[in-house]
Amino acid sequence: MGPGRRPGVHERQRDAATFRTVARHGGLWLPLIGVTALAGTAADLALPAVLGRAVDAIVAHAGGARWLQLSAGLITLSVVCDLVMSYSSTVCVADTTAWLRRRLVRHLLAIGPRGGFDTGDLVSRVTANTADAALAGPSLVSAITGAVPPIGSVVLLALIDPWLAGAFLTGLALVALMLRAFARRTADVLTRYQQVQGRLAALLAESLSGVRTIAAAGTVNREAARVLEPLPALHEHGALTWRVLARASAQAGVVGPLVQVAVLAAGGLALVYGRITAGDLFAASRYAAMGAGLGALTGVLAELARARAGARRTGEVLDLAPVGYGDEALPDGPGALRFRSVSVRGSGSGGGGGGAALLDSVDFTVPGGAAVAVVGRSGAGKSVLVSLAARLREPDAGEVLLDGVPVGRLRHSALRAAVSCAFERPVLVGERIVDAVGLGQDLAAVQAAARATHAHDFVSRLPLGYDTPLAEAPMSGGENQRLGLARAWRAGRLLILDDATSSVDMVTEMQISRTLTEDHGRRTRLIVTHRPATAARADLVVWLESGRVRAVGPHERLWEDPQYRAVFQ
Amino acid sequence: MRRALRFGVASLRRRPLLALAGWSVPEAVPATVSGLAVAHAVDSGFLAGRPLVGLGWLAVLLAAAGIGAVGARQGYRRLGDIVEPFRDDLVRRVVRGALRRGVAGQRDDGAVARLTHQVEIVRDAYAGLIVVVRSFVIIVIGAVVGLLSLSPVILLLVMPPFLLGLGAFVLTLGMAAARQRDYVRADERLAETAGAVLAGTRDVVACGAEDSATRLVAAPVAEQAAAERALARVQALRTVCYAVGGWLPLVVLLGAGPWLSRRGLTTGDIMGGLLYVLNGLQPALGTVVHSMSGSGLRFAVVLGRILDATEPELPVRAAATAPGPQAGYGLMLRGITFAYGPHAEPVLRTLDLDVAMGDHLAVVGPSGIGKSTLAGIVCGLLRPDRGSVAIGGASTCAMSAERLAALRVLIPQEAYVFAGTVWDNLTYLCPSAAPEQVAAATAAVGADRLVAGLGGWLAPVAPAELSAGQRQLLSLVRAYLSPAPIAVLDEATCHLDPAAERRAEEAFANRGGTLIVIAHRISSALRARRILVLDGVSQAVGDHASLLSVSPLYRELLGYWDAGRSAQPGQPVQPVRLVPPAQITQSVQIQPAS
Repeated sequence: MGPGRRPGVHERQRDAATFRTVARHGGLWLPLIGVTALAGTAADLALPAVLGRAVDAIVAHAGGARWLQLSAGLITLSVVCDLVMSYSSTVCVADTTAWLRRRLVRHLLAIGPRGGFDTGDLVSRVTANTADAALAGPSLVSAITGAVPPIGSVVLLALIDPWLAGAFLTGLALVALMLRAFARRTADVLTRYQQVQGRLAALLAESLSGVRTIAAAGTVNREAARVLEPLPALHEHGALTWRVLARASAQAGVVGPLVQVAVLAAGGLALVYGRITAGDLFAASRYAAMGAGLGALTGVLAELARARAGARRTGEVLDLAPVGYGDEALPDGPGALRFRSVSVRGSGSGGGGGGAALLDSVDFTVPGGAAVAVVGRSGAGKSVLVSLAARLREPDAGEVLLDGVPVGRLRHSALRAAVSCAFERPVLVGERIVDAVGLGQDLAAVQAAARATHAHDFVSRLPLGYDTPLAEAPMSGGENQRLGLARAWRAGRLLILDDATSSVDMVTEMQISRTLTEDHGRRTRLIVTHRPATAARADLVVWLESGRVRAVGPHERLWEDPQYRAVFQ
Repeated sequence: MRRALRFGVASLRRRPLLALAGWSVPEAVPATVSGLAVAHAVDSGFLAGRPLVGLGWLAVLLAAAGIGAVGARQGYRRLGDIVEPFRDDLVRRVVRGALRRGVAGQRDDGAVARLTHQVEIVRDAYAGLIVVVRSFVIIVIGAVVGLLSLSPVILLLVMPPFLLGLGAFVLTLGMAAARQRDYVRADERLAETAGAVLAGTRDVVACGAEDSATRLVAAPVAEQAAAERALARVQALRTVCYAVGGWLPLVVLLGAGPWLSRRGLTTGDIMGGLLYVLNGLQPALGTVVHSMSGSGLRFAVVLGRILDATEPELPVRAAATAPGPQAGYGLMLRGITFAYGPHAEPVLRTLDLDVAMGDHLAVVGPSGIGKSTLAGIVCGLLRPDRGSVAIGGASTCAMSAERLAALRVLIPQEAYVFAGTVWDNLTYLCPSAAPEQVAAATAAVGADRLVAGLGGWLAPVAPAELSAGQRQLLSLVRAYLSPAPIAVLDEATCHLDPAAERRAEEAFANRGGTLIVIAHRISSALRARRILVLDGVSQAVGDHASLLSVSPLYRELLGYWDAGRSAQPGQPVQPVRLVPPAQITQSVQIQPAS
């Protein structure tokens, strides 16, 4: 959802629901946080009055031990409540964050690649936004309890003497006016500062995009000077922010004590006329200080807003329906693959699947155990076609059947045991090589797959062999592809190669494809390729053109067509 | 932590710091006067039934605030004089560090975020720390002076618990920093793992590995939650320190109240003492505890990261040995081996290649096979693991960046166009170019229409508004103007249409000097005098005719299919027979025609 768009009714309901779900996950922590927050607040509010009584008692030599014990008790209560509350809200947030993160990742994987999110965006949702959303419960509690001390202290001021509250509120209005003016001025200055900063960042990003040219031309220092050109301007605007801050802090230095002095003056006069005691005056000065905490309420509200925003970003993902799987098992069969008038539309610019046809009424049958090459110019729909067979996306119309069963009706375990896919740019996921390739299989199976795809030799040369962490094994494109192929090798009925050996050298590629053809009949292979030799080795070629099947047949026969030959140039 | 602190302290500029300390004296006035003024206002004013005296003392309080305000105003300006140069310094470090790393071939995705986000965090935290430490010192000194003049006994009662709490807090700082670091590390590990798993969503789903991938992320998630809980325990410890330092003095003072009162201390004295604690020492300690554990740790951790990423590195190329005398610009590669990692299979293996002056060589091969790597090695940007590269008989390893730039120009696939005028962009590699030269180059490469469309040489260029092809055209003109005799086009025309590509390549072929084209389309090979076919484990050099007969890969790249050697469809297929790799390289060691 773009930031500029206003959320609709559905979005608002969804966001509120996410917020509630997250808040509710706080469970028993939330009442604990609420109770300690309220008890602590009550202690804080009572303390100045009790201290005032204690002062009066001390001065009157009236013992006052009771008041002293009471104030010591209140202080202890306040400290203990603070301890329990801050610890339990941190733990509550930590637990909720962890729960939300696990849930989000599981859901994202269930949605699959068609979510259309950028990886960086998802990472920030999983790391930053979940942590914000997890504030939902505690922030709601502190929004409620946070308002009590400042409002309560104004009420208590009024109870001591109404004039005190009047003096206090007048002083506070002055502070608010000043803060507003300050915020406006700061915003102007800050905007200019950020503009210059943005220019600097843009220049750096631009230079980094041409880093190979710069390296070759030996112009690093020239580039650094060019990027740093706006720095003096940044310095100037930065100095201006300090000048604004200097003025504001000078004003705050006068206006802040003004509130305190106003209350003390009103209280002093009340003291002269005997309306209040010296202890009351002391209590009043404390309540004035606590009442100034009204400003801090904006911080509490900001936290609530952050939790809401986090809940929205999390809810956007959780709202997407995951890919459903059926519950059928796969009947015995050779791995016959059938596309029955399958169409897929692009997402288009307006969204909603109204884009151009990526596949248009594709219809063909592959006999079980055959090797089938899928060829076509780039953009012809080859990858879309194989991703349907791997059920990485669903067709808008038509059906894909494996041994007579629509792939959408298969159980998750049955589907993934039967079908595997190797990609042009495989992303290996796992801690060590054996995890990333085996995904739970034992080492022997991993080694067998690696041998078949000619990855065993280079994995064996790594310092820890198959146990080498992925991060410590820099690989060339061809090596990466071979591991990706080894990972897919387990496929029981349908092995899909989506341009999966394009970076592998020719000799190895031929050896791999010999292995692929040697297990002839064991499983069906769907091979997207740009190489005529690979197409020639396949039993059958599916020739795609602009989302339609142009022809299906053996390579030798198709080769007679000059347009078919042109596909490979 | 120590390094960040050292860096921060070393960056304090002396003169503004002294000025800041000087202006702190008036700023300390309100803190010193407050309790005293209230005590007098109560004792000799309001309680004595003399409201005007009381109000007078309150006016003193306001006057003190005014003096303090003047100090605060000047103080903040001096603060800017300390913080802004500090920020400038960080910006310079980040920019230079990012560019140097980039040039050395290290990808650095965080550089821009470091420049905007992290530098600002450090700037704010640095200023915040100076403010907090300074005001803490001011308030404590003010309170001590005020209490001394009010009643030294109160000072003796109040200070021990206050110092105890402060000391205990300082002792927790080391542990807090360690916890905070753990927390940041756990955060980074989580982002890393989540990034790796989510980037592989397609692969995870295709393999049905959703469960194991979720478990993979669950580990750092749990680790992060544990780190957060550990942080909460440290925070609890800090709360205890604050209670000791901030609240205990109050309890002590109140407990001693009856005794003090019997010794003749007045109501105002006791109230003043309480106010020095409640309005002075306690909030000062609270602010220090809060900001040291917030912005202080943030300062240490983020600054540490910036310093890590920008630590002065070795110069880009160390010209330790003299490159030796150089004659001409014939290129000679001997026994070049290059692998992406110490244990990876080499992409180039014992490659020998001679490119004579004035030759035109095309390099072809499947994607990802090492063509760009070869371009980097030829240009001296990458060092081979084994073997040597020489231009005109002199080793490129020992040449400075400037000397290399005078010998060869590289035009990479990602064309670099910067915000500036068209002229600045075109003459980037030849700032002294004459207008006729630039006009001729523009026409030769076929960019005249583009330059006219942009508004001529003096028009500003907005790189984001140009298409990838337009950017490539501009950088081709730039390279054409370079005085370097060897031009290396690394798929530099991939965004041009075939006709424009042909025109640009022909311009470079007729430019004089050597042309090496890493081919994006096979048609580039047909225009070259010689062709190098790369195939991971083997390489073959020759002209079109000889390669057609010896290199099956070359035939395949041209779209030929060895029909005669394949079996009938439906039957096991024999692979195309290959000449052993060693034989290919040996059979086509053809010297270039010069």
